[in-house]
Amino acid sequence: MQALQSTLIQLAQGFKFTFGIFFFTLIFSIPLGLLVSRGRMSKIKIVSLIFQLYISVLRGTPLMLQLLLVYFGPYYIFGVNLGSIQVGPFNYRFIATIIAFSLNYAAYFAEIFRGGIQSMSKGQYEAATVLGFSKMQTYFKIILPQVVKRVLPSVSNEIITLVKDTSLAQVLSVTEMFTKASAAASAQVSVVPFIVAGAFYYAMNLIIETILNRVEKSMSYYS
Amino acid sequence: MPDANKDIVLEINDIHKSFGDLEVLKGITMQVERGEVVAVIGPSGGGKSTLLRCATTLEKVDSGRIVIGGDVLCEKGSYCDRKLEKEIRSKFGLVFQNFNLFPHFSVKRNITEALIHVHKKSKEEADEICSRLLAKMDLKEKADEYPCNLSGGQQQRVSIARALATNPEIIFFDEPTSALDPELTKGVLTVIKELAKEKMTMVIVTHEMSFARDVADRIVFMDGGVIVEEGPAYELVTNPKQERTKSFLAGY
Repeated sequence: MQALQSTLIQLAQGFKFTFGIFFFTLIFSIPLGLLVSRGRMSKIKIVSLIFQLYISVLRGTPLMLQLLLVYFGPYYIFGVNLGSIQVGPFNYRFIATIIAFSLNYAAYFAEIFRGGIQSMSKGQYEAATVLGFSKMQTYFKIILPQVVKRVLPSVSNEIITLVKDTSLAQVLSVTEMFTKASAAASAQVSVVPFIVAGAFYYAMNLIIETILNRVEKSMSYYS
Repeated sequence: MPDANKDIVLEINDIHKSFGDLEVLKGITMQVERGEVVAVIGPSGGGKSTLLRCATTLEKVDSGRIVIGGDVLCEKGSYCDRKLEKEIRSKFGLVFQNFNLFPHFSVKRNITEALIHVHKKSKEEADEICSRLLAKMDLKEKADEYPCNLSGGQQQRVSIARALATNPEIIFFDEPTSALDPELTKGVLTVIKELAKEKMTMVIVTHEMSFARDVADRIVFMDGGVIVEEGPAYELVTNPKQERTKSFLAGY
């Protein structure tokens, strides 16, 4: 009983970081994904190619490898030691994790957004143009709200995957929930910590799913 | 040369437009006077829609001159600055074949959004314009509905209201009834007839030959990127001069 209690406390401590990785990755990767999708759709060939390459590489290599590269890259490649950096409560391990996750998820989001934007009919742009809306107004008033509705199911998928992917931060020894669970499991010679961690992940995703379903429903007033 | 005594709303002079190697408009010249209703007819691929799209800034011509409401949109194929172009856009309305309403906006917001955010009218003023137009379109009780809950004919009437809202000098219709069944077509044509009675200046691309004959003052028959024949509506339909016009009209 005592073991379970200490497991819960340890996992709860780890959960703070798990949630932190999740939260900051979403905050940064969604706007970044929008930018990347714009770049990918650029009419300037070279710009489009650069973003295409970005998406291809970030999606085509393991996220774990990207984590290690962001963390060790600056020192091994450039000899710059960032290990001592601290921004508020966040050390460089955590910051590197957020950077790698955001870059990676932005690539996935970019392709989802591109699909959504390109599925919009030309007529919507044309109607907005002849009514005199500026490019910005057209994008933010007419196009984006409709795109949000269209991409929400795919975005939901990514968000739920992200919750589980946070466990990859273990490779940088970020003390998130999975790292804690592994440590507790080997200390107790028991699988209970893994099962409890699983329950945490599932509970979090259940809440997220409920929220996303509500959002989806709130946009179902038109088709 | 335009007659000084006439009030010309739309002047198109020798415009050419190619898509790649395909020349779609091979020198079109036409004028529309204030209060005049001009129907543009002709076979598909004859350049009617491209003409309309060029007149409404959705396509850029390669050469020629377009003047709308006294403002020169383009001269010898080179266009005016963006500021004037925006101003010119407020002088005309366009009604699309497939409506192109904004599905995430209510009927009311479809009509008022540009009034408020482009023409800087107050919300009250925009609402008033909206309810006046909806009453005219016989859609008074639909203000808070979304387009997906309306029939095609109702949607098209909303899009006519949207085009009228900014009080344009001329309205272009691009096959306004082609996406509608005959039943729904009637309501839309009735609305356009009403506008014609009120002396609204209109250019209508249409396949409804009897409608064109009854409503338009003048008909322009286009084929192969040129105007083959034009004249008073009734005369052109009942007594076409050109062989090409005759064979086209024989199909109706």
